[in-house]
Amino acid sequence: MTDAVLDSSVPDAGRSVWALRWQRLRGNRPAMAGLLVLVLLVAFSFSAPLWEWVLGIDSLRADLFNRFAEPGGKHLLGTDEAGRDVLIRLMYGGQVSLMVGLTAAVSAAALGTLIGITAGYYGGMVDKVLMRITDGVIALPLLPLLIVFAAIDLRKLGFGGDFAVTPDAAFWRIVVIITIVQWTTVARLVRASTLAVLQREYVMAAQVQGAPARHIMLVHILPNAISPIIVACTLAMGQIILFESVLSFLGLGIQPPTASWGNMLTNAQEMIQQAPALAFYPGILIFVTVIAVNFFGDGLQEAFDPRSEPR
Amino acid sequence: MTRYLVSRLIESVLVLLVMSAIIYGLIGLMPGDPIDLMAASNPTFTAADVERLRALYGLDTPLWQRYLNWLWSALHLDFGYSRQTQTPALTVMMPALQHTLVLAGLAFLLAVTLALTLGVIAALKQRTGIDSVINFFAFAGISVPVFWCALMLIIVFAVQLKWLPASGMYTIGAPREFWDTARYMVLPVITLTLAYTGGFTRYTRSSMVEVLRMDYIRTARAKGVPPRRMVIRHALRNALIPVVTVMALSFGTLLSGALITETMFAQRGLGKLIYDSILNNDYNMALMCLLFATAVTLLCNLVADLCYAWLDPRISIR
Amino acid sequence: MPLDAAPTATLLSATGLSITFDMGVGGLLARLTGAKRQQLRAVNAVDLTIASGETLALVGESGCGKTTLGRAVVGLYRPTAGTISWQGTDITDLASPARKSSRREIQMIFQDPYGSLNPRLPVSEVLKEPLRIHGIGNAAEQDARARTLIQQVGLPVDALNRYPHQFSGGQRQRIAIARALGPMPKLIVADEPLSALDVSIQSQILNLMADLRTQHQLSYLLISHDLGAVNHLADRVAVMYLGRIVEIGPRDDLFSRPAHPYTQALVEAIPRVGQGKRRRGRSISGDVPSPINPPTGCAFHPRCPKAQDICKSDLPALTALGDLSHHAAACHFPERQP
Repeated sequence: MTDAVLDSSVPDAGRSVWALRWQRLRGNRPAMAGLLVLVLLVAFSFSAPLWEWVLGIDSLRADLFNRFAEPGGKHLLGTDEAGRDVLIRLMYGGQVSLMVGLTAAVSAAALGTLIGITAGYYGGMVDKVLMRITDGVIALPLLPLLIVFAAIDLRKLGFGGDFAVTPDAAFWRIVVIITIVQWTTVARLVRASTLAVLQREYVMAAQVQGAPARHIMLVHILPNAISPIIVACTLAMGQIILFESVLSFLGLGIQPPTASWGNMLTNAQEMIQQAPALAFYPGILIFVTVIAVNFFGDGLQEAFDPRSEPR
Repeated sequence: MTRYLVSRLIESVLVLLVMSAIIYGLIGLMPGDPIDLMAASNPTFTAADVERLRALYGLDTPLWQRYLNWLWSALHLDFGYSRQTQTPALTVMMPALQHTLVLAGLAFLLAVTLALTLGVIAALKQRTGIDSVINFFAFAGISVPVFWCALMLIIVFAVQLKWLPASGMYTIGAPREFWDTARYMVLPVITLTLAYTGGFTRYTRSSMVEVLRMDYIRTARAKGVPPRRMVIRHALRNALIPVVTVMALSFGTLLSGALITETMFAQRGLGKLIYDSILNNDYNMALMCLLFATAVTLLCNLVADLCYAWLDPRISIR
Repeated sequence: MPLDAAPTATLLSATGLSITFDMGVGGLLARLTGAKRQQLRAVNAVDLTIASGETLALVGESGCGKTTLGRAVVGLYRPTAGTISWQGTDITDLASPARKSSRREIQMIFQDPYGSLNPRLPVSEVLKEPLRIHGIGNAAEQDARARTLIQQVGLPVDALNRYPHQFSGGQRQRIAIARALGPMPKLIVADEPLSALDVSIQSQILNLMADLRTQHQLSYLLISHDLGAVNHLADRVAVMYLGRIVEIGPRDDLFSRPAHPYTQALVEAIPRVGQGKRRRGRSISGDVPSPINPPTGCAFHPRCPKAQDICKSDLPALTALGDLSHHAAACHFPERQP
């Protein structure tokens, strides 16, 4: 049985597809730069309490005697129109933007995966109806719709008045409305992957055993659809951070006094004569975050390209 | 072909109907209530007056009935009165739409021209310095927050350099003349162009790269077809197919996507109208504009699909 | 031949089995206007039985419906008409408890060993999947079973930790066979198990299948267009053409005295050592007609050298030939048995 001797020329099992992908990603300089910037931004944002403690600043307390302070001293970037430290508020704003981006991207991907896999697996009328809905959502004018959603009075939806005005409500409202409009890309990708995987004989092999739909979806379809999901999720995060910032900027997203890069710009807009720098910092941070996410996502896409992968 | 067109049109109308119902329901969930607002602005209103007005406006009937009533009027092109201006909503929208068309149209043309040029250059000079630079700017274009971009332009060109006006549509008090209006248009058009050039460029580049990789281009190159002719005759035409589709799709979103730009520069276009009417509880206005924007997007989708079929002879529509 | 020996228990029997597929995608508008859909009859009124321990081969050109028939047997397709029963119990309804319990006992080996193993799962997971689905044993027992299985198909135990792409085609087919053996089946449907493999590997897999048959008292439904492999493994052979069985009989009978002109052409096309490339004789010309619009009468008549008028109008029934009751052909003019 010569055939039964294992072929040792094939690389080791542990170095599966993921190792190859990581290798390819590492060779992509813009993508790695993007990743580095993202790591730095996370460190920057989440070190806010530490800096508050070190510098002895309470970023929430207004100090009307110290408005528009010049950079220097313990206020490294100066103070804003209410005398609050700009740098620390930028850090807290970063936390909000990153968290909204991540949470909404993941929940949109989850919803899209659920819809795409259902449509692809069950086919027929289920597929037709779900894909019509997807096409419908794609055709919607996103920004105006987001504004309508953001303007909804939660109390009219039966939420308690106490909850409706909390920072938590603002955060989750943004996550939910972005999820509602963002799931379509993933749904389409997952549906396509599902259809492709369903043609494979290993799925039939499981079906022969009478495997339940849940088993086939979890064991066979999802692992094969995970790379396009990750890529779409990453690229969506950039877009979501932009959406969050514009909604917060328009006063419909994260509400002051909670800092967000978007709502910091709302006030700065009125002060462009006195303090143009206040309008510069939050925007450049949004820009840097989104461009880093996009470069990283693009690199992931290239590294995950199935055309350069063994079957 | 006709059958395809008809079925697509029917589908679009269905989507529009569903959307109208959803938006109608959503708008009812926004804060405030038109009668309450009236009552608040007029201290002589009594509770009985409020009830009477509710009945008068049909607000005491169930939601679905109100929706059907609205739909019936809407089908007769009666979209009700704008609460802010006390004029028919349609008469308010028309000039705004016209303004947006000029603004978005100009920006669209500029963006397409820029993107096609940059995208083709990047694809032809693949993996060179020029490609990287163009690529970086394209990424910057899709990553920059539009409102911040507008803010920066205002700070630089209006506040610091004082070359151009910061916002508005014409100099108040001055005679209305072309050059005056044009000066007010410069910054909004630049903002909107920047917002769309990045995505278009990336799309053109990748489509072009894809085509250049094809065998028939290699064959043409090997046969000694001059590069310039090859690019125009062979590559560009095929690369354009998906690009045109994406651009047609984007034009639909451009009309409502101008919302931020218009708001930032206080331009009374469709986007700002939608924004203002939502914030000011002008339900009739908001509903009509949103549906109009949806209809335009759907129409652009349809046009995009038709473009695709028309440009690509391999796809034949049943 | 087990056929002539003491009567053995019937494992599987199919009666009047038909499988029809709807073709073409009808849009909403087509549905509303009531446009009629085209139908493809992949399998048409097929009767067959498989006895315990027996290997039945299903041969025919690609597109004749043999794969569809095999997939219906393992419960991948719902028959449009007819019944399938397993050890006397009706398992036609895919949702029936009888079908569910039969799934453990009817396993399948696929044609493409590259496609039939999930590239994301290590071999151990591949082998344990059926055990998990059927709830056979606890985790430790399943691990032990996987080790036994991999050795039974002639692979070392450390193969369990590797991924499918690290194996050659023949090794992958061994893994697929081990997976099928896992739940201790009585019948294995093997759909072209050799056609994707190198010729040098084919005989190894064939020998493995023959060894396992004796070790585990297996029955096979061997689907193949390779008559050499069929000759090696099968007890009985059924020849399919355009969804119907045109001839069925014991292997030696059918190969030495083919009655249907189609079978004759197939048998004559078998390359044999020492006889040049091909024996001279009647070869069939033309292509297999579309199963969407099959020819009238005997579906083979457009390609048949013996075709008469009756062949164009009347469908020949599958009839026993002479006193050899196990050998039957569906032809108006079968070759005389000597």
